[in-house]
Amino acid sequence: MEENTVVKKNKKKVRVGTILLYVFAIFWVLCTLFPVFITVLSSFKSKSEIYLNLLALPQEWLISNYVSANSTAHAMRTIGNSLLVACLTTIANTVVGMLAAYSLSRKTYGFLKYVYVFFMIGVMVPVHCTLIPINNLATALNAKNNLFFLITVYVAFNMSQAIFLYVGFMNGISRELDEAAIIDGCSNWSLLWRILFPVCKPIVATEAIFIFISGYSELVFSMILMTDDKHFTVSRAMLNFSSVHSQDIGPQFAFVVMSVIPMFLIYVLFHNQIEKGMLSGAIKG
Amino acid sequence: MAGIAVKGRGKQKIKPRDLAVTIAFLAPAILICIVFIIYPVLDTVELSFNKWNGMYGVPEEFVGLENYQKILSDKLFWNAMLNSVYFMIGGFLVLMPLAFGLALLVTSKIRGTSFFRTCYFLPVMLGTTAVALMWTFILNPNYGLLHTIYNMTGNTSSIPDVLSTKTLNVWVVVLVNEWMYAGYNMLIFAAGLVAIPEDINEAAMLDGATGWQRIRYVTIPLMKNSFKVFSILCITGCLKVFDIIWAMTRGGPNDASSTPTIMLYSQGFSYKLFGRSSAYGVVLLVLGVGLSVLCNKVFAEDKELKA
Repeated sequence: MEENTVVKKNKKKVRVGTILLYVFAIFWVLCTLFPVFITVLSSFKSKSEIYLNLLALPQEWLISNYVSANSTAHAMRTIGNSLLVACLTTIANTVVGMLAAYSLSRKTYGFLKYVYVFFMIGVMVPVHCTLIPINNLATALNAKNNLFFLITVYVAFNMSQAIFLYVGFMNGISRELDEAAIIDGCSNWSLLWRILFPVCKPIVATEAIFIFISGYSELVFSMILMTDDKHFTVSRAMLNFSSVHSQDIGPQFAFVVMSVIPMFLIYVLFHNQIEKGMLSGAIKG
Repeated sequence: MAGIAVKGRGKQKIKPRDLAVTIAFLAPAILICIVFIIYPVLDTVELSFNKWNGMYGVPEEFVGLENYQKILSDKLFWNAMLNSVYFMIGGFLVLMPLAFGLALLVTSKIRGTSFFRTCYFLPVMLGTTAVALMWTFILNPNYGLLHTIYNMTGNTSSIPDVLSTKTLNVWVVVLVNEWMYAGYNMLIFAAGLVAIPEDINEAAMLDGATGWQRIRYVTIPLMKNSFKVFSILCITGCLKVFDIIWAMTRGGPNDASSTPTIMLYSQGFSYKLFGRSSAYGVVLLVLGVGLSVLCNKVFAEDKELKA
């Protein structure tokens, strides 16, 4: 009898706890989605409606804000620039990083230890302290407004981190796999790309998504290296637009919405991959 | 057949061809890091002892430690450092408990955890500038959320602009930053949580540990590594914060909300004091590397103590 009440009590307690958990969970969902929701809503409103009530639904769903964001701030062009930069950075980083990681993980030459330490130092360097020399380098090479120069800079900044993660993952792959492949006559090149690369896919995919986000939305270096608005990346263009056309509130909202659409799509497609990758500990200090 | 045997055994011997391939594989990565990281870092160090107005072709003038004296005696430098410290305080007092709580939530047995997880992680995907602008809109004194709520209650007086109020604006940006990264750090903690074997929890439960006790005495001690990763990312990240504060306040008013990286940028590219800007770079470099090494040491020693 007594035991029964204890169990009941426990059950009740659990229930209260669960309800609190749900309340908190839903509260944070609302907190997370609220700004996005407001921004999307406002992007369809006229300026006077935004001033009247930020929370109200638009009386009439206008697309004029989007048209104007595209014509005044060239939203599509800047998004295209950023997507190009992000794609090429991701590809270059993956290829170059994997090549280096393969050597570091699979070869036993003595000097490789030092190479590894060299990359580890790269992880620790705050990239901002390279701002002025890289600016000078760009001037000297006449590479300002050159998207490829910007891409190379991004590749360099992501390189150490990527190599660190790839080496960590590759070290966990059994060497028996290599030996079998070598006996079958595999060269280094095909051992890496045909055998190891597919096994490394989880870490490569997760890291690729993070490199993609950073390439898409990076700000400082695109601020100093891109001076011509034809080559603006999306972050740069949004900030520029919001300070130069500070009165065009609707189009500003629309621009922000347009800028996040590609990332949103990527997230919808790959969120399982990101979560799986991160839950298996893809991020290391 | 013989050839294969040689190949298999050849691991210890240095084969020129294999060595060449190894070097060729490493070369692009090393080259790119030398040109875009090592050389610029050395150049920054060199420039920090000089005076230079940034004009291409104008010679630099050696001034010794003057740049360092100038920035260390500048109130704005210490203000910028303080702002970075605010980010760290926010990181440990707001972000860490929040992210840890969310991690417990999404790994708990309630329904819909995968939906919650996906929602919480979303802000990181949107990109810093987009997030910053969204919040700038919401905080706008003329049409923002506070303004709307004020209007609804029939109050028509104007409300202050939080983003141009000294100190307050830094804290607002800190909170927006925590909002953005809560989901990201949630996954770091969740990675630690899912790695804890289920039977340890069950054993604790059988021993009569309540939920809170289990978290305090079982979960947290087993998650040392997650806390280490969080601490290192938080401390080095706070030192480097630029985008979000630049997008929301431009470091204003009068550099009051500047972080060291914003000072570095504005000293160089707004005031053309490239020597001084480089001195900021060197300070950042020393702090960045120093703090990373320190964090690793602190947590490594801790582990030895436990073992």
